[in-house]
Amino acid sequence: MNTHPYLRAYMAGIVVPTLVLLLILTAFCLVRFVFHVPVPIERVIIFPMALVPSLFGLWNMFYLWLRPRRHLPIGIHGALLPFLLAPCGLALASALGLLTLGSSGIVCFDQQIIPYQYVALAFTVGLIAYYLIWKYLVGFFNQVLGIA
Amino acid sequence: MNDQKDDDKIRQLLKQNIRPVNQELESDLWPQMLRRLEERPAAVPWFDWALGAVVVLSIIWVPSTIPMLLYHL
Repeated sequence: MNTHPYLRAYMAGIVVPTLVLLLILTAFCLVRFVFHVPVPIERVIIFPMALVPSLFGLWNMFYLWLRPRRHLPIGIHGALLPFLLAPCGLALASALGLLTLGSSGIVCFDQQIIPYQYVALAFTVGLIAYYLIWKYLVGFFNQVLGIA
Repeated sequence: MNDQKDDDKIRQLLKQNIRPVNQELESDLWPQMLRRLEERPAAVPWFDWALGAVVVLSIIWVPSTIPMLLYHL
Protein backbone atom coordinates (compact mmCIF):
# COMPACT_ATOMS: atom_id res chain seq x y z
CA MET A 1 0.00 0.00 0.00
CA ASN A 2 1.40 3.41 -0.95
CA THR A 3 1.41 5.55 2.19
CA HIS A 4 2.21 8.77 0.28
CA PRO A 5 5.04 9.99 2.56
CA TYR A 6 5.76 13.05 0.42
CA LEU A 7 2.12 14.16 0.54
CA ARG A 8 2.19 13.78 4.33
CA ALA A 9 5.47 15.70 4.49
CA TYR A 10 3.89 18.54 2.50
CA MET A 11 0.84 18.57 4.77
CA ALA A 12 2.99 18.55 7.92
CA GLY A 13 5.08 21.40 6.50
CA ILE A 14 2.24 23.78 5.70
CA VAL A 15 0.51 23.60 9.11
CA VAL A 16 2.61 26.22 10.92
CA PRO A 17 2.59 29.00 8.26
CA THR A 18 -1.11 28.39 7.60
CA LEU A 19 -1.92 28.95 11.27
CA VAL A 20 0.37 31.98 11.50
CA LEU A 21 -1.31 33.35 8.37
CA LEU A 22 -4.59 33.63 10.28
CA LEU A 23 -2.84 35.79 12.88
CA ILE A 24 -1.18 37.93 10.21
CA LEU A 25 -4.44 38.35 8.31
CA THR A 26 -6.28 39.32 11.50
CA ALA A 27 -3.58 41.86 12.36
CA PHE A 28 -3.61 43.30 8.82
CA CYS A 29 -7.41 43.57 8.78
CA LEU A 30 -7.41 45.33 12.15
CA VAL A 31 -4.70 47.74 11.03
CA ARG A 32 -6.32 48.39 7.66
CA PHE A 33 -10.05 48.43 8.36
CA VAL A 34 -10.30 49.30 12.06
CA PHE A 35 -7.42 51.71 12.52
CA HIS A 36 -7.55 52.92 8.86
CA VAL A 37 -3.80 52.74 8.34
CA PRO A 38 -3.22 52.93 4.57
CA VAL A 39 -1.54 49.52 4.13
CA PRO A 40 -2.00 47.91 0.68
CA ILE A 41 -3.09 44.63 2.27
CA GLU A 42 -3.82 42.81 -0.97
CA ARG A 43 -0.25 43.33 -2.18
CA VAL A 44 1.38 42.66 1.19
CA ILE A 45 -0.48 39.42 1.84
CA ILE A 46 0.49 37.67 -1.42
CA PHE A 47 3.85 36.42 -0.18
CA PRO A 48 2.81 35.06 3.24
CA MET A 49 -0.43 33.65 1.83
CA ALA A 50 0.63 32.09 -1.44
CA LEU A 51 4.31 31.34 -1.30
CA VAL A 52 5.43 30.77 2.29
CA PRO A 53 3.14 27.81 3.13
CA SER A 54 3.96 26.10 -0.17
CA LEU A 55 7.67 26.62 0.36
CA PHE A 56 7.39 25.19 3.89
CA GLY A 57 5.63 22.11 2.46
CA LEU A 58 8.14 21.67 -0.34
CA TRP A 59 11.06 22.20 2.05
CA ASN A 60 9.67 19.46 4.29
CA MET A 61 9.33 17.15 1.27
CA PHE A 62 12.95 17.98 0.45
CA TYR A 63 13.89 17.10 4.06
CA LEU A 64 12.21 13.71 3.69
CA TRP A 65 13.95 13.08 0.36
CA LEU A 66 17.31 14.19 1.75
CA ARG A 67 17.16 12.18 4.99
CA PRO A 68 18.49 8.84 3.76
CA ARG A 69 21.10 10.58 1.59
CA ARG A 70 22.61 13.34 3.72
CA HIS A 71 20.95 13.60 7.07
CA LEU A 72 20.72 17.08 8.58
CA PRO A 73 18.86 17.69 11.85
CA ILE A 74 15.44 19.13 11.05
CA GLY A 75 16.20 22.37 12.94
CA ILE A 76 19.28 23.05 10.84
CA HIS A 77 17.39 22.11 7.68
CA GLY A 78 14.66 24.61 8.60
CA ALA A 79 17.19 27.31 9.46
CA LEU A 80 18.47 27.13 5.88
CA LEU A 81 15.04 28.06 4.48
CA PRO A 82 15.35 31.84 5.17
CA PHE A 83 18.30 31.91 2.76
CA LEU A 84 15.76 31.04 0.07
CA LEU A 85 12.72 32.84 1.47
CA ALA A 86 14.27 36.19 2.33
CA PRO A 87 15.57 37.00 -1.19
CA CYS A 88 12.22 35.84 -2.67
CA GLY A 89 10.27 38.00 -0.22
CA LEU A 90 12.54 40.97 -0.79
CA ALA A 91 12.33 40.62 -4.57
CA LEU A 92 8.53 40.28 -4.55
CA ALA A 93 8.03 43.19 -2.14
CA SER A 94 10.35 45.29 -4.27
CA ALA A 95 8.54 44.30 -7.49
CA LEU A 96 5.18 45.18 -5.93
CA GLY A 97 6.48 48.56 -4.84
CA LEU A 98 6.16 47.81 -1.14
CA LEU A 99 9.76 48.68 -0.42
CA THR A 100 12.80 50.19 -2.03
CA LEU A 101 16.46 49.84 -1.20
CA GLY A 102 17.85 53.14 0.06
CA SER A 103 21.41 54.15 0.89
CA SER A 104 20.95 53.78 4.64
CA GLY A 105 18.23 51.18 4.80
CA ILE A 106 15.09 49.64 3.37
CA VAL A 107 12.26 52.12 2.78
CA CYS A 108 8.85 50.57 3.44
CA PHE A 109 5.71 52.10 1.86
CA ASP A 110 7.79 55.21 0.96
CA GLN A 111 7.60 56.19 4.62
CA GLN A 112 9.39 54.06 7.18
CA ILE A 113 13.14 53.50 6.89
CA ILE A 114 14.53 50.33 8.43
CA PRO A 115 18.34 50.60 8.76
CA TYR A 116 20.36 47.76 7.28
CA GLN A 117 21.73 46.74 10.69
CA TYR A 118 18.13 46.14 11.82
CA VAL A 119 17.51 44.13 8.64
CA ALA A 120 20.58 42.01 9.45
CA LEU A 121 19.31 41.60 13.00
CA ALA A 122 15.86 40.58 11.72
CA PHE A 123 17.47 38.02 9.40
CA THR A 124 19.49 36.55 12.28
CA VAL A 125 16.42 36.45 14.51
CA GLY A 126 14.56 34.82 11.61
CA LEU A 127 17.20 32.11 11.33
CA ILE A 128 16.89 31.34 15.04
CA ALA A 129 13.08 31.45 14.90
CA TYR A 130 13.06 29.09 11.91
CA TYR A 131 15.47 26.74 13.69
CA LEU A 132 13.13 26.55 16.70
CA ILE A 133 9.94 26.36 14.62
CA TRP A 134 11.26 23.53 12.48
CA LYS A 135 12.82 21.65 15.36
CA TYR A 136 9.77 21.73 17.60
CA LEU A 137 6.65 22.47 15.55
CA VAL A 138 7.32 20.97 12.12
CA GLY A 139 9.17 18.12 13.84
CA PHE A 140 6.11 17.49 16.00
CA PHE A 141 3.76 17.44 13.01
CA ASN A 142 6.16 15.14 11.15
CA GLN A 143 6.05 12.81 14.14
CA VAL A 144 2.25 12.92 14.29
CA LEU A 145 1.98 12.10 10.60
CA GLY A 146 4.49 9.28 10.94
CA ILE A 147 7.32 10.65 8.84
CA ALA A 148 9.73 11.72 11.59
CA MET B 1 4.60 -32.80 -16.55
CA ASN B 2 7.75 -32.06 -14.63
CA ASP B 3 7.49 -28.35 -15.52
CA GLN B 4 3.93 -28.28 -14.22
CA LYS B 5 5.09 -29.77 -10.92
CA ASP B 6 7.90 -27.21 -10.66
CA ASP B 7 5.48 -24.37 -11.34
CA ASP B 8 3.10 -25.62 -8.67
CA LYS B 9 5.92 -25.93 -6.19
CA ILE B 10 7.17 -22.42 -6.94
CA ARG B 11 3.63 -21.07 -6.65
CA GLN B 12 3.21 -22.79 -3.31
CA LEU B 13 6.55 -21.49 -2.01
CA LEU B 14 5.71 -17.95 -3.13
CA LYS B 15 2.34 -18.13 -1.38
CA GLN B 16 4.01 -19.31 1.81
CA ASN B 17 6.73 -16.70 1.88
CA ILE B 18 5.19 -13.55 0.44
CA ARG B 19 2.30 -11.96 2.25
CA PRO B 20 -0.67 -11.06 0.07
CA VAL B 21 -0.97 -7.38 -0.77
CA ASN B 22 -3.55 -5.93 1.56
CA GLN B 23 -5.44 -3.06 -0.01
CA GLU B 24 -7.35 -2.27 3.18
CA LEU B 25 -5.92 -1.02 6.46
CA GLU B 26 -5.38 -3.89 8.86
CA SER B 27 -6.61 -2.05 11.93
CA ASP B 28 -7.96 1.24 13.19
CA LEU B 29 -5.06 3.70 13.14
CA TRP B 30 -6.67 6.24 15.49
CA PRO B 31 -5.52 4.52 18.75
CA GLN B 32 -1.97 4.51 17.38
CA MET B 33 -2.31 8.21 16.59
CA LEU B 34 -3.55 8.91 20.13
CA ARG B 35 -0.65 6.95 21.63
CA ARG B 36 1.75 8.92 19.49
CA LEU B 37 0.19 12.21 20.61
CA GLU B 38 0.37 11.18 24.27
CA GLU B 39 4.03 10.21 24.10
CA ARG B 40 6.04 12.37 26.47
CA PRO B 41 7.99 14.97 24.49
CA ALA B 42 11.73 15.12 24.98
CA ALA B 43 13.03 17.82 27.34
CA VAL B 44 13.99 21.09 25.69
CA PRO B 45 17.77 21.66 26.03
CA TRP B 46 19.01 24.86 27.69
CA PHE B 47 20.55 26.01 24.40
CA ASP B 48 17.13 26.16 22.74
CA TRP B 49 15.69 28.10 25.70
CA ALA B 50 18.56 30.57 25.27
CA LEU B 51 17.84 30.90 21.54
CA GLY B 52 14.16 31.48 22.28
CA ALA B 53 15.12 34.19 24.78
CA VAL B 54 17.36 35.82 22.14
CA VAL B 55 14.40 35.93 19.72
CA VAL B 56 12.03 37.43 22.32
CA LEU B 57 14.58 40.01 23.55
CA SER B 58 15.48 41.03 19.99
CA ILE B 59 11.82 41.57 19.15
CA ILE B 60 11.32 43.65 22.29
CA TRP B 61 14.53 45.60 21.65
CA VAL B 62 13.77 46.28 17.95
CA PRO B 63 10.01 46.01 17.32
CA SER B 64 10.46 46.94 13.66
CA THR B 65 11.71 43.37 13.09
CA ILE B 66 8.19 42.03 13.81
CA PRO B 67 6.64 42.86 10.41
CA MET B 68 9.69 41.45 8.63
CA LEU B 69 9.44 38.22 10.58
CA LEU B 70 5.68 37.91 10.10
CA TYR B 71 6.07 38.61 6.38
CA HIS B 72 8.28 35.53 6.07
CA LEU B 73 6.11 33.18 8.10
